[in-house]
Amino acid sequence: MQTATEQELVTITVNDQEVRVPKGEMIVESVKRIGLDVPIFCYHPRMKPVGMCRMCLVDVGMKQKDGSVRVMPKPQTACTLPATEGLAIYTDTEQIRKDRKGILEFLLVNHPLDCPVCDRGGECPLQNLTLIYGPSTTRFVEEKRHLLKAFPLSKYVQLDLERCIQCGRCVRFTEEISGDGQLAFLFRGALMQPQTYELTDFTSRFSGNTIEVCPVGALTSAEYRFRARPWDLETSPAICTECSNGCSTWFDHRVGEMIRINGRTNEAVNEEWTCDKGKFGHNYLNSPKRLTTPLVRDGESLREAGWAEAYERILAVFKGGGGAVAGLSGGRPSNESLFLWKRLFTERFESPNLDHRWHVHLPGAGETVAGRHGIREVNTPIAAFEGMPAIFFFGGDPAAEQPILYLRVRKAWFRNEAKVIVAAPEPTEADNFAYCVLRYRPGSEAALLGGLTRLLLEKAGGVAGADELRQAVARFTPEETEVVTGVASGALRRAAEAMAEGFATAASRTLYNLPNGADVVTALTNLAISAKSADRFNLFATEANEQGALEIGVLPGAGGLDTRGILEGCRDGGVRALWLLQCDPFERFPNRELARQALENVEFLLVQDIIETESFHHASVVLPCCAFSEDDGSYTNMERRVQRVRRVVAPKGHAKPSWKVFSELELRMTGETPPFSAKEVMGMLGSAAPQYQVSAYDHLEGEGVILPAEGGAAEPRLALPDYDAMEGSRELV
Amino acid sequence: MIKEIWSDVVKPILAGLAVTARRLKRDKSTVFYPEEQREQYPRTRWRHVLTRYENGLEKCIGCSLCAGACPARCIYVESAENTDEERYSPGERYAKRYEINMLRCIFCGLCEEACPTGAIVLRKDFELADYHRDDFIYTREMLLEKMPVKSDR
Repeated sequence: MQTATEQELVTITVNDQEVRVPKGEMIVESVKRIGLDVPIFCYHPRMKPVGMCRMCLVDVGMKQKDGSVRVMPKPQTACTLPATEGLAIYTDTEQIRKDRKGILEFLLVNHPLDCPVCDRGGECPLQNLTLIYGPSTTRFVEEKRHLLKAFPLSKYVQLDLERCIQCGRCVRFTEEISGDGQLAFLFRGALMQPQTYELTDFTSRFSGNTIEVCPVGALTSAEYRFRARPWDLETSPAICTECSNGCSTWFDHRVGEMIRINGRTNEAVNEEWTCDKGKFGHNYLNSPKRLTTPLVRDGESLREAGWAEAYERILAVFKGGGGAVAGLSGGRPSNESLFLWKRLFTERFESPNLDHRWHVHLPGAGETVAGRHGIREVNTPIAAFEGMPAIFFFGGDPAAEQPILYLRVRKAWFRNEAKVIVAAPEPTEADNFAYCVLRYRPGSEAALLGGLTRLLLEKAGGVAGADELRQAVARFTPEETEVVTGVASGALRRAAEAMAEGFATAASRTLYNLPNGADVVTALTNLAISAKSADRFNLFATEANEQGALEIGVLPGAGGLDTRGILEGCRDGGVRALWLLQCDPFERFPNRELARQALENVEFLLVQDIIETESFHHASVVLPCCAFSEDDGSYTNMERRVQRVRRVVAPKGHAKPSWKVFSELELRMTGETPPFSAKEVMGMLGSAAPQYQVSAYDHLEGEGVILPAEGGAAEPRLALPDYDAMEGSRELV
Repeated sequence: MIKEIWSDVVKPILAGLAVTARRLKRDKSTVFYPEEQREQYPRTRWRHVLTRYENGLEKCIGCSLCAGACPARCIYVESAENTDEERYSPGERYAKRYEINMLRCIFCGLCEEACPTGAIVLRKDFELADYHRDDFIYTREMLLEKMPVKSDR
C-alpha cells in the first residue's frame, strides 16, 4: 500500500525540463511523465530493477547552489537511479547516443541476427531499438557463438540460447511474479544462460508469460512456432473465458483462425499476465470438431438441417412444455445468452427447471451463503487483495483454480508482506510463501474450521449471537483439532493469531463438491463472521460466467428441479425434453452413471455447444453456437466484474450467437419485436436484474465495471453447521 | 503556276518518299509476336519465381517479409518447420504455402527488395493472361524454379 511518506515529491529536470516526481521513483519511470522513453531491455515495470543490460544509460548531473548543473563524467543506468531533489537527467546527448550504439553493438556481437526466421521478428525490442539507436553495420566478422537452438524447456516454451541477451527478465519473472523459481542463470560471463534446474521441465503454470517478457526471441512459444509473423496477424482485444478470473487478452487471428493469445494490460484484473491455461488453452477454437451447422436426428443418425427445421422440432417439444421440459447450462455462455435463455424457459416454456450448477451439493435459495448468513458471496475485488494484511486460502490449490488471483495474493506477500494462510489437504503452490500452512486430512474441513473459529471467538469476542456457536465449537480445542485434522496445534494457533485482526477469505465454489460441502461452506462463513471479516468473505465461482449465471438467476424457479433433479427426471421420465447449453453432463456431473441414464432415457435432447461433446451422440437436435470470440457479449467474472467482448472473427459455418437463437425462438412463439443486438439484450437485462444497469454497453469500456451491491448491508448471521469430521478422516493417520 | 506546283507539292512528296526509301534499308522493329519475341530489358519485372540453391534446396525461408513489404497485400505465406526427414530449405523454417494473387500484384518488386535470401525474384516472363480468376492465384508449386538438372543429391 502506498503511504504518505512515499508520496513525497521531488523536483528533477529531464533534458532541462522540470518535473515533479515521487521521491525514490526510478528515473526510467520518471522520464515517461514528460512523454520521453529511455530504451530498456532488462528493466520491467513490474519487477525489481537489476541494471543488467546497460541500455538505459543517461547522463546525470546535480544542480549546484549557484543554479548551474554539474554533470557526472560517466553515465548511469536510469533503471537503478532513484529520483532525488535537484537531479538533472539528460537522455539525448552526443555521449549517450554513442553509449547506446556501443551497448547495442556488444549485444549484437553474440546475437545470431536470424530475424527473418525468428518468431519475435517484427515485434522484437532488440530489433526495434537497434533500428532506432544501433549501428547499421557490424564490425564483428568472426564466427559467432553456437549454442542450443529451439530447445524445449517445456511443452509450451522453447529456448534459443544464441538469441539470449542475458537480461534476466524470465528468471526474475519466475522468482518475483509467479514465484515458482523454475528458471535460473547457469554459468557466468558469455556462457551465462537461463535454464531450468537439472533434469526438470519448466512446469510453471505461468510459463507463457516468460515468452512475452523476453525482449528478444530467446524464449518462444512452441504452439506459435512459425505459424505467422506479427504483421500477418490481426490483433483484437478479448477476454479469456477459460476460468472465472476473466483476464484481458489480445486475440491474434489470421484468416478467421485464432493464432495466439497474449496478455492485455488490465490493472484491475490480470495486470498484464496470463496463465498457461488461458494462453495455450484456446486451440479448441480451431478444432475440426467444431459444430458448424444445425443437425437433426433421423433414426439412428444425425443429418444436417437448416435453422428453420431445427426451430420447428424444438418448438414442437418445448413450447408449453411446463414442468416436463428442463434446461442445464454450463458457466460459459455470455450474460446476454443466459438472460434470454432464462426468459425463454421461465416465460415462454413456463418451466421452472433450470440450473447451471454441477456440484454435489446444490444449495437452495435459503441455504446459500447469502440466504443463510445475510452476506454476499463475493466481496473483494481481485486488485483489493493486494492490500490485505491477511489472506486465508481454503480448500484447494489457488494457483490451479484461480491463477490470476493467486498472482495477486503472491504480490501482496512479495510487496506488502501479507500473511497468507493456506489450508488445503494437499501441497499447493502457495505453500512456499505461506505464513502458515494447515495441511488437514481430507474430510476434516469442518473440524479444522471449528478449531479456528473457537480460537478466533476467544480473541475477537463481541460477535452478536455467538453463544450457540461458541458451544458448538467448544470441543475443538487446538489439541483436539490436531487429533481430528492432523494440523499441529501450534500451526493452528499461529494461523489464528494472524487472522485475528481480520482476514480476506478466498475459497471457491468447488467446496460444494465435498461430501459435507454445505456444512463446510457454513463453517467457513462462520469463521469469517467471527473475525468480523464478513465484508472480505469470498466464495468464488470457477467458470467464466458462473457468477453471471448466479446473478441472472439461472437457477431452479419455484418448485423447479435442480441439476440432480433434472437428470433424475430425465431418467425416470418426469422430464421429457432436456436442453443442454454449452455443457456436457458426462464431464461435469459428479455421478457419471446418472448422467448416462438420463441422456439415454430422455425423449428429446437438445445439445447446443461449440464443439462435439460426449452428450452430442445422444442428441435429437444439435445447435452450433459461437465461441466467445465470435459474438458480442459480456461476461461476469468471479469478482462480479462485467467485461465486454466484441466479435473478433466470424462464426464458424452456420453457427449463430446463442442469444440470437433464443430471440428467434421467442419471435416464433410471440411475434413480439426481438432484440437485434447484444447491446439491446443488455438493456433488457438491466431492467430485469437491476445490478446490471451499470453495465450497459455505453459505459462498459476499458477495465469493465464491478456490479454494485444489492440492498443495504445486512447484519451477518451465524449459522450452526455440523462440525464433525467425515467418517474415516480420523483413521487416516 | 507550274513552278509553284513543283516546289510546293511534288518536291515535298518526292522528298518524303526518299526518306521512306532510305528507311526501307534499315532493320524492321516490329516482331511477329507469338512466333517471335523481343529481348526484354535487363531490369524488367514480370512473373515472380521462387529460386533454389544449386543443391536444389529452396531459398525461401517463409519469413513473410515479402508479404509485409507488399503494397498490394497480394502475398500469403504460411511457414512450417523443416525436419531432417523433410527438408525444403536450409535452416529451421520453410514456406509451406506461398501464394501470390497476380490480379492484385502491381509488379513493383518490393518483395524482391525485402527478401533476405534472394528467394523471390521478378523475371522476364510476361505472358500472364489467363481465362479464370482462380488461375491467377499462383501457388508455391507454380512459382518454384524447376529442380536443377544437375542433381548431385
